[in-house]
Amino acid sequence: MKTFKLEDEPKIESGFKTPENYFENFSAKIMQQLPENEPKVISLFQKRKIILMAVAAILVVAMMIPIYTLFSTNSKELDESTLENYITYQSSMNQYDLISELEAEDINRIKTTIPLEDETIEDILTTNSDTERLILE
Amino acid sequence: MINSVLTIQIKALQEEKEFIQELLNPKTQNEAFQKLLFTYQKPLYNHIRNIVLNHDDTDDVLQNTFIKVFQYLKNFKGESKLFSWMYRIATNEAITFINQKAKLNGITSEALQNKTIDNLKADVFFDGNEIQIKLQKAIATLPEKQQLVFKMKYFEELKYEEISEILGTSVGALKASYHHAVKKIESFVTTA
Repeated sequence: MKTFKLEDEPKIESGFKTPENYFENFSAKIMQQLPENEPKVISLFQKRKIILMAVAAILVVAMMIPIYTLFSTNSKELDESTLENYITYQSSMNQYDLISELEAEDINRIKTTIPLEDETIEDILTTNSDTERLILE
Repeated sequence: MINSVLTIQIKALQEEKEFIQELLNPKTQNEAFQKLLFTYQKPLYNHIRNIVLNHDDTDDVLQNTFIKVFQYLKNFKGESKLFSWMYRIATNEAITFINQKAKLNGITSEALQNKTIDNLKADVFFDGNEIQIKLQKAIATLPEKQQLVFKMKYFEELKYEEISEILGTSVGALKASYHHAVKKIESFVTTA
């Protein structure tokens, strides 16, 4: 039997064939399938939109903070000043009225502050240069 | 002489870089991809067909290959040539396809290959006689890597350097592999 030598033989083709116009149709088919990937590009756009919206929302909230604090502090100051004004100018209250309104509890609360006041009086007396004049009087 | 070869190579590299940029730019993408298709569809078809053997399966694998190429282009680092990168994807897709098909039929991929070769005679898209069938049967007896090397060298007529880039094997090892493959095929055909 003759030994088979690949080099001696004429080139053996694979023999594989394709249908007519296969490659023309194939590239068209692939190009049609590609746009399926494009929504990804759009979704990226949407992601960007979401980020933009989130940033806008955060900015709006951030801008609200100074306005909020302005309003809240304003209202407090307003309250205190109106109360003061009311007491000093509008009310007919005097010291005796206030004292009569005090109850035993309130008086006790005032008493507790006295020892502290002793110390402060001492401090004031030792540091104040006018004490001599005060003693002389 | 060497200088001119070098400048041609550098020019080719630059052209490939520009082409990849065109493929990535959404404005030029479609046109560039069409160009890619026209350049590579035939060689890649032949490459896949040599592995999976029948036309319909090749059509499926080739489609998956190009879709994958399109999807992964943005991850293509340019560490290898576009050509070898695409051949690698096609090879992996074809081998994965064969293994899955064999698993689905509950047979080994070797058994599937022999079955497909037996079916070749009835294949309308196969124009071959006894010698082609015999050669395919001889190839089927080789280890997977040797089969690949033989098909790429003998049928696809790729250069060793190109096969080396695709398979990541040294040229020396490829030459040895091809030599072994030829010897085995010759003895198979002689005795068969």
